[in-house]
Amino acid sequence: MRRYKPLLPVFAIYVILLIIGATTPGLWQPIMFIMFYIGIGVALNNFLGLTGYVDFGYVAFLAMGAYGMAVALNYFTELGFGAVALGFFLALLFSALLCIAVGGVALRLRGAYFAIATIGVNEGLRYLIEGARIWGGSEGIVLSGKLRKAFGPDFANYLSTFVADVCLIIVIFVASVITIYLINSRVGYALLALREDEDAAKVVGINVTKYKLIAFFTSAAIGSLIGASAWTLKLTYVFPEDVFFIHYTVEAIVIVMLGGAGTLLGPVISGLIYGALKYYLSVILPGFQLLAFAPLLIIIVVAFPDGIVGYVRKKLRGKSLFEYIR
Amino acid sequence: MVLLRLEGVTKRFGGLVAVDHVDLEVNEGEAVGIVGPNGSGKTTLYNIISGVYLPDEGKVFFEGNDITKLPPHERTPLGLARTFQIPRPFGAASVKENVAIGAMFGRAKANVDEAMKMADEYLELVGMYELVNKEAKLLTPLEKKLMELARALAMKPKLLLLDELMAGMNPNDINRIIELVKKIKVKENIAVVSMVEHLMHAITQFAERVVVMHQGKKLIEGPTMEVLNDPKVIEVYLGKKMVIEGYEG
Repeated sequence: MRRYKPLLPVFAIYVILLIIGATTPGLWQPIMFIMFYIGIGVALNNFLGLTGYVDFGYVAFLAMGAYGMAVALNYFTELGFGAVALGFFLALLFSALLCIAVGGVALRLRGAYFAIATIGVNEGLRYLIEGARIWGGSEGIVLSGKLRKAFGPDFANYLSTFVADVCLIIVIFVASVITIYLINSRVGYALLALREDEDAAKVVGINVTKYKLIAFFTSAAIGSLIGASAWTLKLTYVFPEDVFFIHYTVEAIVIVMLGGAGTLLGPVISGLIYGALKYYLSVILPGFQLLAFAPLLIIIVVAFPDGIVGYVRKKLRGKSLFEYIR
Repeated sequence: MVLLRLEGVTKRFGGLVAVDHVDLEVNEGEAVGIVGPNGSGKTTLYNIISGVYLPDEGKVFFEGNDITKLPPHERTPLGLARTFQIPRPFGAASVKENVAIGAMFGRAKANVDEAMKMADEYLELVGMYELVNKEAKLLTPLEKKLMELARALAMKPKLLLLDELMAGMNPNDINRIIELVKKIKVKENIAVVSMVEHLMHAITQFAERVVVMHQGKKLIEGPTMEVLNDPKVIEVYLGKKMVIEGYEG
């Protein structure tokens, strides 16, 4: 149990955020906005943070999740809650299929080549869906009318507000547990070794391909569940140009690097900072938020090259608080 | 019993034949020295044994099984371990984690808790106990070498390949390491192949048998002292012994 202590501060942050959101009028949506950024940070961290491989096509897994849910709600609407369950299943299935396709090819590449290949996958998939008119092509899938007709406005509303948020929260809690489990297990040590020196890791007896794939699948699965709940279920529409928007990948990478790649707490703290800043800067300085944001990020990245949590951990080495921060 | 057998192993890099039809046998629990000047193919030979390179010709057998085509991570659990000439620590991990990773994925196949315990044991053995929590990249080169030795030992190998382990160490450290490796070798019945370029003194103390490499070929092989006094070996290192007639003093 001792090795699960680092979950405490993480869960504390989640609970405090949710309590603030639930008790303060008007803050629930901003909190869910922040939770979304924490979520994609935690999800991508399981791959980028643990392996050191930069996946610029990561948003494609969220997109697969979003489409999985949309397909289930659109074609199996009459199942009610069953359609939602089916949606999560399809989200996992679609992202796993994409994982096999990408992992089999791109994970053989290293460094910048891997990053470039994954951008290609993301854009290629988007144009495939638009060009071949799969799942509505560029018109996407719009669910609101259909849900309203099948369930009535109240239940449809309930789905897209309450159920969507609860699902996202559950996914984020589970994702953090998965991260700490990975870090503490043999998988985590194998990934640590291959992140530092892939060739030396092989000679030490680590099947690097196997462990990279484990991290890749885990990260993709969590991403797809976030796409399914925070996008399709909540917004009730899916457009390819939105769900394949590379901007989300970049944001997730920034969150992981800012908080401390490979740490448990890192993406939570930086997701919180990033989400809150993005939200309030767009309120205070509408249109100028990126202008204010970029220098801020540069300063933080220069000051903390290991990320915020990486920096704090270094300072705490040997102290009793150390084992609570991962 | 023969633990490792190489049969006519050849590796070419373009036009350069780095290792040229080398045969080699290492028995269980034996201490073998491989010596040879720079560029004689020693490291390439190690890379072939540990699976980093596939040989262009020839076969590698471990405990009688053909492992020529096995990738490194499938050879290690059979009981192979090596250190690197230039240490390759997992920099961001602590010293203890580095050694524990060896215990987890080597022949020892320990779980995380066992591996941590083994890491403590072996780090104490090499005399690094006070450094367990240090980040590996902050170690001195000597400490990195010792840590790699501990990592290799924690893998519980049957065959340990040391690549210039003692190069750059002072005589005290060299003696300490030799005594340590000798002790562990006997205790755990590990065959140790140690490769050196110039530390003949260390090899004479340690190896029962020596193989001399020269330009990718095996020049000579036999009991340590005999081989090191062989005129051919002296020629490789110092050049031909010339006697000029009529020259005195």
